[in-house]
Amino acid sequence: MSFLLKRTVGATVCWGRNILNNVKTPVIVRIATKADQAGPQAETRPTVAKVDPLQKLHLIDFGKYVAECLPKYVQKVQLTAGNELEVLIPPEGVIPVLQFLKDNHSAQFTNLVDIAGMDVPNRPNRFEIIYNLLSLRYNARIRVKTYTDELTPVDSANDVFKAANWYEREIWDMYGVFFANHPDLRRILTDYGFEGHPFRKDFPLSGYVEVRYDDEQKRVVVEPLELAQEFRRFELSAPWEQFPNFRSNPASEEVVNPADEKAKQ
Amino acid sequence: MGPLKKSTGLVGMAVAPNAHHTLGSLYGKILRILQKMPESAGYRKHTEPLIRERAAVLTQTKDVYELESKINCGQAEELIIQAENELNLARKMLNWKPWEPLVSVPPKGQWDWPPTKS
Repeated sequence: MSFLLKRTVGATVCWGRNILNNVKTPVIVRIATKADQAGPQAETRPTVAKVDPLQKLHLIDFGKYVAECLPKYVQKVQLTAGNELEVLIPPEGVIPVLQFLKDNHSAQFTNLVDIAGMDVPNRPNRFEIIYNLLSLRYNARIRVKTYTDELTPVDSANDVFKAANWYEREIWDMYGVFFANHPDLRRILTDYGFEGHPFRKDFPLSGYVEVRYDDEQKRVVVEPLELAQEFRRFELSAPWEQFPNFRSNPASEEVVNPADEKAKQ
Repeated sequence: MGPLKKSTGLVGMAVAPNAHHTLGSLYGKILRILQKMPESAGYRKHTEPLIRERAAVLTQTKDVYELESKINCGQAEELIIQAENELNLARKMLNWKPWEPLVSVPPKGQWDWPPTKS
């Protein structure tokens, strides 16, 4: 019986991450292949995460397997940090992909560890929704990423994972992403009567209101924020490039990229 | 018949009285649903041999413990749960048709990291 994700505990030989070396590779897109394993480069620094080549091999195989089973929904599969598999999907594919990963014999990702959100304002679809899954059977993790904007609803994963209920409420509260078919989409982290979505990049650090105890009224009052400094316009972005090392050395390695292959044809 | 299985050792999981029969019927159902998918579907190509292999092991063995060690994917009761999930998934797959071409291409720069300025 051959499984894609083998239940192995790891090999003894470890190779360092390319990212951390000073050697600059001229390649723009790094493609994860099994031939990668050929260059032995023992990682001796104790604080640097070691990548298990055998585990990486299985992850590459599994990434290809997912892309082959669900060509309708998988836009790209990539490995980040050497051993973290990511499946990038369009918002239409949330439920099929999660259901497949949960119920398939060779996947069995039955635990939803977390759902995270991300806001990148200069993208056409500014929000990313990130699902972290765990397979206890194969001791493996996988990350599923999708995207949306302020108005487009994403299908709720609550039908697949019951754990998604509160996580999606968190995303709704913090980012204002609407989840379709969610049974109980309310605020979960912010105070009663709170307005706005605090994790959005355009939400001011100081918030919109301030709370103080009023001695005359003998209660706590909420007032619009008043700051002594009248014109608050800070330029927070540095004039230099933030991640020059990543320009020629991207953080992720491609496993398969069906979306790009389509564009080339 | 081998020794009687008294407990699975897992909380909330009772011993299946006739694991061979239950598994056999579940695998049969899964295979019948897979027949309805096109031959070229990736999901069918990967799932069908796996289920056939397990069904073959099922016919070769009489004892539950022997079955478990040959399939090597958990206890018989867990195998039943896995088969039920797969059956559920296969039925849904017929509606989703995931073997079709990509439903939408990502907008340009959507998956670039770190994000570019402007």
